[in-house]
Amino acid sequence: MESFAFAPAYELPVWPFVPPPELGSATVVRHPLVIVGAGPSGLTLACDLAQRGIRAVLLDEDDTVGVRGASSRGICYAQKSLEIFERLGIYERVSAKGITWSLGRTFSGEQEVYSFNLQAESVSRQPPFINLQQFYIEWFLVERILELGLTDVRWKSRVTRVELLSDGVRIGIETPAGCYTIEADRLIDATGANSPIRTQLGIDARASRSTDRWCISDVRFKKPLPTERWTWVDAPFNEGRGVWQHLMADGVWRIDYQMPEDCDTAHISRPEVAGARLREQLGPGVEFEFVWIGPYGYRDHLLDSFRHGRVFFIGDAAHVVSPFGARGGNSGIQDAANLGWKLALVAQGQAGDALLDSYDAERQPAAKENLKVTSRSARFLAPRSPAEHTLRRAVVALAARHPFARALVNTGRMSVANDYPPAPQLPEGARTVQNLPLRWADGRETTLMQLLAEGTQCLGLWLAPTRAEAGAALDATAALPLRLLAIGGDSGLPALQADETLRRHLGLHDAGSFVLVRPDAYRAATLPQATPDAIASALRTALALDHHAP
Amino acid sequence: MITEPRIPDPDGFYAALLAAHEGLDEAQSADLNARLVLLLANQCGDPAVLLACIRAAAAEDPTTSTPP
Repeated sequence: MESFAFAPAYELPVWPFVPPPELGSATVVRHPLVIVGAGPSGLTLACDLAQRGIRAVLLDEDDTVGVRGASSRGICYAQKSLEIFERLGIYERVSAKGITWSLGRTFSGEQEVYSFNLQAESVSRQPPFINLQQFYIEWFLVERILELGLTDVRWKSRVTRVELLSDGVRIGIETPAGCYTIEADRLIDATGANSPIRTQLGIDARASRSTDRWCISDVRFKKPLPTERWTWVDAPFNEGRGVWQHLMADGVWRIDYQMPEDCDTAHISRPEVAGARLREQLGPGVEFEFVWIGPYGYRDHLLDSFRHGRVFFIGDAAHVVSPFGARGGNSGIQDAANLGWKLALVAQGQAGDALLDSYDAERQPAAKENLKVTSRSARFLAPRSPAEHTLRRAVVALAARHPFARALVNTGRMSVANDYPPAPQLPEGARTVQNLPLRWADGRETTLMQLLAEGTQCLGLWLAPTRAEAGAALDATAALPLRLLAIGGDSGLPALQADETLRRHLGLHDAGSFVLVRPDAYRAATLPQATPDAIASALRTALALDHHAP
Repeated sequence: MITEPRIPDPDGFYAALLAAHEGLDEAQSADLNARLVLLLANQCGDPAVLLACIRAAAAEDPTTSTPP
């Protein structure tokens, strides 16, 4: 039998545990914001807040990034996440290290049955996707957070107790140097799928577990293959079951094999068994070495509400979906970006608590949508009855010859920036605005994300307003967090060039039309013929400033 | 969903359907029917009509409409 080698383990950074001042003190210190969990969503939130000049305490039970050695977990970062990374200042590192792709191909047996190119829909500076091992994302975020210097990052700090107070949360923390207690005005739970905080508070996650079984092989080999997302519904080299193939950084391929439901997970992840599978796929003569092998079964859960008073749930602590379409990590990052600016405006006294309710009103439906979409993919990939097998066979057979059936082949619908439903703060609902490359009137280049990276304010983009309107609008919004910019015209406002792509993407057609873009790059309002009062009113609505508690 | 007769030669259509199944075993017939359903669904394309047809077909199933 062929023997298979493992690559040397990654050397991941380790940060020191520093005993905090509260240790050994009888005084319980109150912090405005405490984030628990330094995974992608917790780190994104801490970084987002720091970028906005807001301090937070970040607690993590570990002192490094990643989990279980070189296990990479999430690998696909979607455009919206990449745009957030540009705003946070880590995009260039992500782009330099990761693998950019936009083309996906789906095969049945030896035949390609479906393909998509996500670049066609894009006007962003960022590509549709970059693949990168999750620990690199976490690593870059930690370094950026330390560089910004506003986050009190406490490693080796495990939350053991959470108690709700009338005006905050009391948190018990265990460290290598002993236990201590702190309080928070607001606690953000980013502890992941098995959140101990959720358990302590007795919140039901409505979890369900799939019987579908998969085995990941992260592997390095020399065979040149295109940097595309390849999926097989039924691969001939995997006994007619599904296979995923993706390139990550450092020449490591993530190959994910669907296994029989009743498989022995210890057996199928043994190096010689995984190696034989890979040999079947790559053919003889291709040398390879494993980086990591691991079996998994996926699960899902969704909290009814992502806000419980002064506790907010983000990322996997709030929702878990099957991995198809990369909707897990990406939605956690977007949770953080949705909550960050709201917490910042509340901390700065520019918005009230009502704005924080909009986090749940927007991200819970997004998670619900992601759960629906990923559950449909999971069901296509693991038919549950003979009838479902028959229907899938029909889809795949027809897809080979007829374009209409290709749309039914579902090996994952890739993560998108979900639309938000109409709500008090979003009368029209909201859609993401992509990170358009922009030019100032004098020719200097910028991007939407660069504009949004400066302070915490909405952007008002106004097509060729008059001087009088522009002046009156500045007066009407003087006390509000708004940066007013003109697109073309001669209004006296700082002006961007009236590029056709920009106008089309924003839906700005006539002179005087206006778009309000939130700090998370969602379009909060469109005014076909803006007036200074209408702009001020739209802004107050978007920031929930007119909200009166019943 | 249209339930008034629309097929000009009902007997001819039915005969063609039977002919397509001739010589097939149960699994092959099920596969053929599934492919046919998908092809026909795309001829219609209207989501409301498709859902009405799915509901109507499910209601006709004796295993779901009459308890034992």
